[in-house]
Amino acid sequence: MAVSGFEGFEKRLELRFRSFHDPEHFVGDLHMGLRLLPIESLEEILRAVHCTIVSSMGNRFFDSYVLSESSLFVYPTKIVIKTCGTTRLLKAIAPLLRHAGGLGLELVVCRYTRGSFIFPKSQPFPHTSFNDEVACLEESLPLHLHDRKASIMPSGLPNSNYLWHVFVASAGDRYSSLCSREIMLPDDESFTIEVCMTNLDPVSARKFYRLPDDWKTRESAGKEMTDATRIQDINPNALICDFAFHPCGYSMNGLDNDRYSTIHVTPEDGFSYASYEWNGSTYDGKEDIIRTLTKVTRVFRPGNMSVSTTSTSPHVWRAIANALEPVGLKCRSYSMDEFPTVGVVAFHAFTACRRNG
Amino acid sequence: MEWAGRWDVRRKRKRKKMAEEGQVIGCHSVESWKEQIQKGTDLKKLVVVDFTASWCGPCRVMAPILADIAKKMPHVMFLKVDVDELETVAKEWEVEAMPTFIFLKEGKLVEKIVGAKKDDLHAKVVEHAAALPASA
Repeated sequence: MAVSGFEGFEKRLELRFRSFHDPEHFVGDLHMGLRLLPIESLEEILRAVHCTIVSSMGNRFFDSYVLSESSLFVYPTKIVIKTCGTTRLLKAIAPLLRHAGGLGLELVVCRYTRGSFIFPKSQPFPHTSFNDEVACLEESLPLHLHDRKASIMPSGLPNSNYLWHVFVASAGDRYSSLCSREIMLPDDESFTIEVCMTNLDPVSARKFYRLPDDWKTRESAGKEMTDATRIQDINPNALICDFAFHPCGYSMNGLDNDRYSTIHVTPEDGFSYASYEWNGSTYDGKEDIIRTLTKVTRVFRPGNMSVSTTSTSPHVWRAIANALEPVGLKCRSYSMDEFPTVGVVAFHAFTACRRNG
Repeated sequence: MEWAGRWDVRRKRKRKKMAEEGQVIGCHSVESWKEQIQKGTDLKKLVVVDFTASWCGPCRVMAPILADIAKKMPHVMFLKVDVDELETVAKEWEVEAMPTFIFLKEGKLVEKIVGAKKDDLHAKVVEHAAALPASA
């Protein structure tokens, strides 16, 4: 393990809104809600976090942005920001609430999650500890989000201090259900799965390095990495916005109707890391979830993997525990906890039981 | 009087043509779209079309970048199409995500870029513009 290096583990912030003026339904332009935020406002928010937009793509349902450090997704009433490195993600909250307020939108749910940093001492305040992060969240969030819970979920792995951190604040179920009338997946019928992988197979990791004298654009180099690793096969329906960093590193956002997926890779030996995240409907079969996790495992062949699912439906997390034995990952432990509005967060930790040939 | 009137019309046409070069021309009707494409084909120009939507954030990211490229490459024709305004045209070119840039030479598709890919757009405009015959 290196003494210091790039922090791949992301901090993730999800904010859900409803309209002040007409909470029951959207009228006219409010239908596009947060998507109407001017680019200058988004850039102001990202400056506070210490990252920038490097590529982007939108469809009828949402806008996706690849950032210098991870990704941003903007739906009409939901925003998801995921940032790695030493970004100060929680600094996004104040400017975001201000700009959303300008569009007549009020926060109803906030969810903040992360794993354990590989280099915790390199993190800036308030990411210096979960206590500091929770204190910052408590202070930044409006009082009407009165239903709050913070929890640290153990991985149960021996000789490991790997933990999953969750903070949720909600205005209560009455408010959040008013967000459900949208053109996208109603929040109470959707799931999110966050996969974190370390100790990547060196052969897989090498594919995320740029060749020394290649003159390709960062976008073309990104496409080449997508093709070389067959990332497109994970969800063949998704339109992909990919990007390669110099001298190594890769990010992509996938757009498939109202569903997003996102991958971020730090390939360096000693602190290699890759993440895969996607959302879906609780009506999706568990086979789809297992198939996606299997394909992700085959691309990265990690030594360690954690899978955190957030869902109001139990069948989502029940699919996970034995799902990856066919691809050489054994579930060592799992834990679960229930949170206001978002439902159950289940956290499974896997280690490779053999290296596949 | 008639003769002076004709000069005036010719001068106005030349001014309009020069004003359009170096700009991104918005097509707000199917007729104007067809007219511009035909013009580009007749003049053997590279035509770059930006399919956008008013509610799409990434389109707003690209707009000033495209305008800047247009200014620097006046011998290329740049068109802008709103996918809600010209739904049939967007469907015809299978636009699923925005922004989408299509590159046409004599009416035929030579390149398609999906997404606000600044580096790729710049590189491809230079590449395809350079490949044109000298008479363009």
